[in-house]
Amino acid sequence: MQHFVLEQALNYLIDQGNADLSALNGKTLHFALEDLPLNVNFVCTNNRIFVTTDTSIGADVDIKLKSSVFLALLQGEDLTELLRQDKIVIHGDVKTAQLLVDLLQQLDIDLEEALSKYTGDIIAHQVGKLAKNFKTSDNPLEALKNELTTLLVAPSKSSLFKNKGS
Amino acid sequence: MDKTTHFGFKDVDTDDKQGLVRGVFDSVASKYDLMNDVLSFGAHRLWKRYTIASSNVKAGDKVLDIAGGTGDLAIEFRKKVGDSGQVVLSDINAAMLGEGRKNLINNGVFGVEFVQLNAQRIPFADNTFDCVSIAFGLRNVTDKDQALAEMWRILKPGGCLLILEFSKTDSELLKKFYDFYSFNVMPKLGGIIADDEESYQYLAESIRKHPDQETLKSMVLNAGFGFCEYHNLSGGIVALHKGIKT
Ligand SMILES: C[S@@+](CC[C@H](N)C(=O)[O-])C[C@H]1O[C@@H](n2cnc3c(N)ncnc32)[C@H](O)[C@@H]1O
Repeated sequence: MQHFVLEQALNYLIDQGNADLSALNGKTLHFALEDLPLNVNFVCTNNRIFVTTDTSIGADVDIKLKSSVFLALLQGEDLTELLRQDKIVIHGDVKTAQLLVDLLQQLDIDLEEALSKYTGDIIAHQVGKLAKNFKTSDNPLEALKNELTTLLVAPSKSSLFKNKGS
Repeated sequence: MDKTTHFGFKDVDTDDKQGLVRGVFDSVASKYDLMNDVLSFGAHRLWKRYTIASSNVKAGDKVLDIAGGTGDLAIEFRKKVGDSGQVVLSDINAAMLGEGRKNLINNGVFGVEFVQLNAQRIPFADNTFDCVSIAFGLRNVTDKDQALAEMWRILKPGGCLLILEFSKTDSELLKKFYDFYSFNVMPKLGGIIADDEESYQYLAESIRKHPDQETLKSMVLNAGFGFCEYHNLSGGIVALHKGIKT
């Protein structure tokens, strides 16, 4: 679900005219963290970016790194320096990878927070909560009614956004 | 194509299914929106909001909503594409399109085009749309593979397909509740509110016959899409499949 937040934030940036995607158009960048289940393709097309967990197709550029290195990168650490230190593995054009990193650095979302909360699927978590309520409540229908509002997806309420749109 | 297909839990002649589906939606059209709100506790609005957000549609884009019925998605797409864009609300059923037209006017939304079409034979040129959506419609289509191939054809390279549809939950508890609700409560409410228990029995059955998340994903990829992923909503009761034409 976190990749949905990434996708929304990136496209918001593009829509605001704060990102020039022309050099990335038509490119697919595979991005994987070694220690967290973030493994996605950034599909850049028609001046927008889709962030998809479908990584079955080969990408133009492959980027692999640890989450701590990713955070350092977002805080402005130099990509070439990290490459030199072998902290990041890039197959393909480094310049293209740099363009993606530039975009990610501009994002106004708290990626550190997003990564720390990486639990896979917000909804799965909410259903887990619902199942717990079923076990404890005398009246499962009452519990379901109470949970319905949180059970359903309301992406705009995601706590992963940092003052987005406000 | 096979000679028979399913219409809910019944096996029917393949050529007859479209007419039977038409009968269902002719019958429920005038009460469709009310029933949607009641039966899903308003949740369909959140599922649709998520679908719109996932589309990444921008000003100037061309969007086709297939099986669009009363136009919930078309209304939101119209706001996103603005005057420089184009939104086509399409459905096979004239009664549903009529309700859609009323709904759009009531919401003060103008500039949407209406086209009566069958998802299996879409009357638009190759590479026309930036986004194609189909919400709660695919399970009613007789030849889903053909419809998906058509959706692929009319999308521009880089275009996005969104399929919002009932799916399979893997939570046993939720499944029990949902089975009870859809086979016992839903048709009864259909009888009371829309005076049509049978159509809501079909709707519940058609959900069970619809391919699960992984099967539908394979179908989307087989239709030619380069990428496809799905997001489970409400524990998998509904799933949003998103395909990208490469
Ligand atoms: C459950 S309604 C969904 C309406 C709307 N998309 C929504 O989400 O509220 C299903 C719609 O699919 C339409 N439909 C069924 N078979 C179709 C086909 N082969 N091609 C196009 N539309 C079809 C029906 O007429 C009906 O309006």
